[in-house]
Amino acid sequence: MRPELAFILFLIALTSACDTINQLFLKSAINSLASPRGNFQEVFKFIFKLIVIPRVWLSFLFSAISLCIWLFVLSQVDLSFAFSVDSMHYIFIALASRFILQERVSLKRWLGIIFIVAGILLVSLS
Amino acid sequence: MFKNKLTLKILVFLIFTDFLETFTHLCFKKSVLLEPGLAINKAGDLLIFLQGAFLSPFLWLGLLSVFCTFILWSSLLSRIDLSVAVPICSFSYILIPVASIIFLHEKVSPFRWGGVLFILLGVVFVSLSASEKERALE
Repeated sequence: MRPELAFILFLIALTSACDTINQLFLKSAINSLASPRGNFQEVFKFIFKLIVIPRVWLSFLFSAISLCIWLFVLSQVDLSFAFSVDSMHYIFIALASRFILQERVSLKRWLGIIFIVAGILLVSLS
Repeated sequence: MFKNKLTLKILVFLIFTDFLETFTHLCFKKSVLLEPGLAINKAGDLLIFLQGAFLSPFLWLGLLSVFCTFILWSSLLSRIDLSVAVPICSFSYILIPVASIIFLHEKVSPFRWGGVLFILLGVVFVSLSASEKERALE
């Protein structure tokens, strides 16, 4: 593997990790509120209540970091390559669920993750 | 919690979010394409690079599209299970290479399509395992 490619893969992993942290903060903030019922108006009220929670701002901060790294990655490689490899956030989320949140990760999900890893390897080799 | 079955209306909205997401990443890519070829050696170069990207209207169009996707996606998720929504939205893993070929003139090798296929399969498996959990909660 060429060193530049390894560096780009590392950066994409970093954006995926930032996205995962962002999702964890967002999920914990959303869990602290009652979930909204059906209609769009209720959903807007829900989003308004959500954005005053400090954890949501932390989540935005990580999105901003992720965006900056993502822009740099896009300036270096093809979009079709970068977007496919970015699917590695599924792997991070599964690992975070298993080891940080202590959730049970089913066999089917590990199988899915193996497919995603295989896909990323194929895309990276091309 | 009661959730509606997948209706045609929800399906259309889900596919619309796929297109929005594709549009977002096309805009992001466009915003950095306008930058002259650069090799970044110092942290200062990165700031100059980001400044250039943030001055591009494409970037702001992309961010607007992210915002719309976020609103649409959150409203859709209150009406449909995540395990149904995610596989439909992983359609963007196909849309993005197609859009890259058409609008950015990138070349996508059969090898890369093979990889995309594996990723799609993986995403479907991951979301199927979510549906087991949802059923267990009922």
